Amino acid sequence: MDDETFLNERVDVVASFGTGLNPCAPVKFRRKNGRIIEISEIGLRHPTTQGNRMVHMFDVTDGGADYRLEFDAERLTWTLSLEADHS
Amino acid sequence: MKNDYNHARPMVIHIDLNSCFATVEQQARPRLRGRPVAIVNRRTDHTMIVTASYEAKAMGVKLGMRLKDAKKLCPDLIGLESDPPKYRYVYHQLMRIMQDYSAHVRMKSIDEGVIDFSESTLAMQNRDLVDIGWEIKQRLWNEVGCAMNCNVGIATNRFLAKTAASLHKPNGLDVITGDNLRDVFATLELTDLTGIAGQFEKRLNGVGIFTPLQFLDADPVTLQKIVFKSIVGLEWHQRLRGWEVDKRDFPMRTAGRQYVLDGYKMPRAEVLKRLHHLCEETGAKVRSQGLVARGVSVHARSYSDTGRGWGGSYWHARSMAAVPFFSDQAIYEQAKRLFESAPVFVKEIGVSCYELSEPDESQLHLFGDELARDKSLTNAVDQINSRYGKRVVHSADTLTTKMVKEKIPFGSTRYM
Repeated sequence: MDDETFLNERVDVVASFGTGLNPCAPVKFRRKNGRIIEISEIGLRHPTTQGNRMVHMFDVTDGGADYRLEFDAERLTWTLSLEADHS
Repeated sequence: MKNDYNHARPMVIHIDLNSCFATVEQQARPRLRGRPVAIVNRRTDHTMIVTASYEAKAMGVKLGMRLKDAKKLCPDLIGLESDPPKYRYVYHQLMRIMQDYSAHVRMKSIDEGVIDFSESTLAMQNRDLVDIGWEIKQRLWNEVGCAMNCNVGIATNRFLAKTAASLHKPNGLDVITGDNLRDVFATLELTDLTGIAGQFEKRLNGVGIFTPLQFLDADPVTLQKIVFKSIVGLEWHQRLRGWEVDKRDFPMRTAGRQYVLDGYKMPRAEVLKRLHHLCEETGAKVRSQGLVARGVSVHARSYSDTGRGWGGSYWHARSMAAVPFFSDQAIYEQAKRLFESAPVFVKEIGVSCYELSEPDESQLHLFGDELARDKSLTNAVDQINSRYGKRVVHSADTLTTKMVKEKIPFGSTRYM
């Protein structure tokens, strides 16, 4: 459990919007330090509500670490909230 | 009462997610797949394991074990803190998939549900239930994720369907009919049967019943008069033979919350703050069902130095009010008063409301104005919290109780 870092970091995200069951898929994101993370798999996307506001949680990986991206559907912002390395 | 086995076509499907919370985490974090994972409620080594993945179970990790002890058995064990919104999402996805097959879906808990096809449309009844079982598995893979597996059990009643779902974990699909009932029971232990553990097992052993087959062959009068000492004995006689006796809903009798304290020798004022927090959550539960309560019950587990190590005991107190109540403040006032006689050092506290009922608006009350004001205020706070997020407005007393986190809703699915 010490391998998890909780963050509240705004990130730039490239995402694709298509059709099907999971129409929105983040493809890669750039962190504040300029590092670009290429997403290799989206593990799970689940919506949560903060009051009336919908926030979609994307648990993703780049193959080296796991990340959680939060997409605020009202403010249209992406936030990196978790980085985990259980290697 | 029917003495023969039910040879009708099986029409009940039981779906059970495998090691649900651990599997969901493995789904969410692909790098955890195939590795031993344990889900805990708190980020400490002393916390109890809520769910373990199959890889962890294979190494001897069991539910209820402390994470610290489990790591001795399985040094590579990865402990993760529970994430209830994620599990709730998967629950709703499973329910959505199941409801595509029948309107008669009953979710038994956060990770299992039952579809009763006996009341479905004829078109659906004509389909092979085994095909439907495989289809649900496939849809779970496609629509939630490729790591999501479930067990499917098919039988003539809910009990045997659940038993069938537990025969080949993980990812099994089994059918129990009147024809293979005895063969299946021959492979099981008495405690493999849902509902038979501890005291019931001892009682059955007391009349010479040690296996499911002996249980199946038992005389209904023995079960009713000696073992279960009630009509429950006859229900078991029918249940084991595949006849449906569990198709019923139970009204909500209590609502409550408990919490293992985040420190030893905590000052009473701090304990009361946490109790207040629990009362707020309990009040929200009661009101979410449109109910009011008449009674409050509090309990605590205490600990003390016995000279030969730490011992503990269970304490509880309850009281009934003259008039029904629903507000957090009313619950807390009673709980606080009851808690005055609680032991000094406690490690776990809990509060629950009982005698729940629909509010009776027809009878005028002597303190009507006061009650109306209380109700308006409580409704306003609930509406604000519903709109802007949980606990946006709460008592100032519970400003520092953020450590009392949302609990995984085991058992009841009322608050999902």
